Amino acid sequence: MKRGRVLWHLVKADFLTRVRRTSFLVTLAFAVFVGYQTFAGKIVMKLDDYRGVYNSAWVGALMGIVTSSFISLVGFYIVKGSIERDRTTRVGQILAATPMSKSFYTVAKFLGNFAVLASMVLVMAVAALCMQLGRAEDRTLHLWPLFAPLLLYALPAMAFVAALAVLFETLPVLRGGVGNVAWFFVWTALLVGGVSAAVDHGAGAGNRDYFRDFTGISTMMAQMRGTLLQIDPSFQNGFSLSIGDQVPHHRFLWTGIRWTSIMIAARLAWLASALAVALLASLFFHRFDPARERIARKQQEAPDRPAVLELAAARELARSDPWSSRLTPLPPASVKNRFTSVLIAELRLMLQGHRWWWYAVAAALFIVCVAAPLPASSGGIILAAWIWPMLIWSQMGSREARYATGSLIFSAPHALQRQLPAVWLAGVIVTALTGGGLAIRLLIARDLHALAGFAVAACFIPSLALALGVWSGSSKFFEALYTAWWYTGAAHHIPGGDFTGTVAASSRPGVYLLLTVALLAACWMRRRTQLAYA
Amino acid sequence: MKLSIENVGKCYDGKVWALRRFSLELKPGVLGLLGPNGAGKTTLMSILATITRATEGKVTWNGADLASNPNALRTVLGYLPQDFGVYPNLNAQEFLEYLAAVKGLDATDARRRIDQLLNLVNLADVRSRPLGGFSGGMKQRVGIAQALLNDPQLLIVDEPTAGLDPEERVRFRNLLSDLSGERIVILSTHIVSDVEATATDIALISNGSLVAHAAPEELLRRVEGRVWEWVVPSADLNAVKQCYRISNTVRRSDGVHVRVLAEDAPPGAQPVPPTLEDAYLDSLSLYRTRSVA
Repeated sequence: MKRGRVLWHLVKADFLTRVRRTSFLVTLAFAVFVGYQTFAGKIVMKLDDYRGVYNSAWVGALMGIVTSSFISLVGFYIVKGSIERDRTTRVGQILAATPMSKSFYTVAKFLGNFAVLASMVLVMAVAALCMQLGRAEDRTLHLWPLFAPLLLYALPAMAFVAALAVLFETLPVLRGGVGNVAWFFVWTALLVGGVSAAVDHGAGAGNRDYFRDFTGISTMMAQMRGTLLQIDPSFQNGFSLSIGDQVPHHRFLWTGIRWTSIMIAARLAWLASALAVALLASLFFHRFDPARERIARKQQEAPDRPAVLELAAARELARSDPWSSRLTPLPPASVKNRFTSVLIAELRLMLQGHRWWWYAVAAALFIVCVAAPLPASSGGIILAAWIWPMLIWSQMGSREARYATGSLIFSAPHALQRQLPAVWLAGVIVTALTGGGLAIRLLIARDLHALAGFAVAACFIPSLALALGVWSGSSKFFEALYTAWWYTGAAHHIPGGDFTGTVAASSRPGVYLLLTVALLAACWMRRRTQLAYA
Repeated sequence: MKLSIENVGKCYDGKVWALRRFSLELKPGVLGLLGPNGAGKTTLMSILATITRATEGKVTWNGADLASNPNALRTVLGYLPQDFGVYPNLNAQEFLEYLAAVKGLDATDARRRIDQLLNLVNLADVRSRPLGGFSGGMKQRVGIAQALLNDPQLLIVDEPTAGLDPEERVRFRNLLSDLSGERIVILSTHIVSDVEATATDIALISNGSLVAHAAPEELLRRVEGRVWEWVVPSADLNAVKQCYRISNTVRRSDGVHVRVLAEDAPPGAQPVPPTLEDAYLDSLSLYRTRSVA
């Protein structure tokens, strides 16, 4: 009973801390946006050229799949950081001094994360209701078919995401930017791994498929295909959930998921897995022990210094050896407004402090870019070269907020006119250097069009990082968006989505140049408001 | 060299006034800004350091309005905020070099200055260690060094001795005194002894308003002859607390030595020379009584 009360207060405090922040409104706004996009037909689920009649069953299934697939990706980034917040606010140290166990803490954090994600599911439930009534193809409300996919598919998926966020935070290697990048690939694996090859080729879902189905797509897809085959024997097993205006030409009536006990057991198994992951996280949770922080304890120890003196003795010492006697006044002309000094300082800040292997890999990618055949350099190697410095870019614009150095930097003269452009230019230099092997290769080949694309990309990537950093005050947003963009747009050379600009077929340097200008304008505007006197 | 604060006010979220109709004119010397927690000291510091903008009123530096020309002040400003961070992967030398560049200092002068400052704050031996491994007191000393990088004419320090050991604390107080000759130093703290040791002027602030602005001697003169001390048995302490404004109590073998502020001598009490702490408590108490009335 007592433990229950403690857990309740931990989860409540965690939840209230989040919902009273503006970012929570943004979170809900995102859920509303996704819900509206689905309502407006911008997110379409179709089977060949069919979609279901917008009845409770179809709307519920659509909302369930959209929530468990799209919102689960973003939701992770939204909830990850609750343990870090306890560390930075030092509340963690207070909690660590209580009898609370490690597993209790990680389970409480998991439940706090889950509460936030569940509120997004709630928004989607309201959106589902509005969608069915708004679309008016079938106004008869059947609450179970409408809400069951959200309840039994989306919520367990969200619980699993909530638990993974806790696990990532307790693992030192996944706590920061590496974890943010890794999540995209974990999420992709969960989505892809949830659909077995047999189901993908039109077979019905078996018992094992229910247990591996993270989002519910596999199960629902199998049942929808079965219904459609009875209506249209020429149905080719096509299934897609896509963003865009691809309107299917035919409709069919689907009455909902036929739930079996094994299906419900599978969803409960996902909930149980979530709890297991939260408990697993407690094995890696160091209970805010400073000795387990990244920097070794021996480095934290103060240097050899004389023992603390009594105040009277200290007073005498200070009188005999005043501080100011050791300071030479600066000449008046010493304060100059040299942009290059700030640029060099920003470059050092970006490039210093990495392990030797970071530089070794960057150098190797540079050399391979120069040495490899041009199609390989501009196709695959540049992608590797331009994901490698991602954690450097992601610090741009958000570093001052993350390390609380804003008051020191923003009280310096010309912070807007010098420091911000210096950060951007340093980012451009890092981008150009890491991808520089390709630039040399393009110069040798005299491919000026691709070279222009390269130059635009070298400006675009740091501009995106800086804009997102300045606006969000966090590196997470860029890490999430860039990874997704890099994988879906650049790696697959999607026309318009390929920001690398070095493959003629998918290159759109003009568009990215305009985007760069817009992002820089956004940076400037935001930083102006951050500085009391720009 | 003159810093003028004219009817400055700061309102948060359109509701809470942290500072209201605050006026002060400062010339070279150390101004000790004293006040209880939440009095508005840090808000005032942030406005003067150009970190936040005043909702009303005007701040001028040598006649230049901060609203239209903040860089006139920023080029000669040294600021040590109450809470500040460092880049954990940089060492002290690199961090100071970075801030020197951001402040626009010439590279050669900056290097010489950083050498001197690291010696001054006793961090020369650890200049190559990452800041992430520094203790709170060591980080505070890095903060002090960065505030002095550009040889500022206006030095604003918010709770500068927090986390310093007694030796460093005394040395820092002396530094402030030494520096004050040619510049304006604003020292915000709630540690009265820090102000007592360094300030040439004191501003008492409470509830966002200026309660008093005077030299320490003047504040002490105001309570002259109204501070009393005597010994009471422990059992009587509560009764004394009901009747008098207690400034201090010390338990000794002969009983509790009670120090009070009162117009007339309590029975058996002897007059004692006032301290700045007595003056501070008296001024605040008077202000609160007037506010209630």
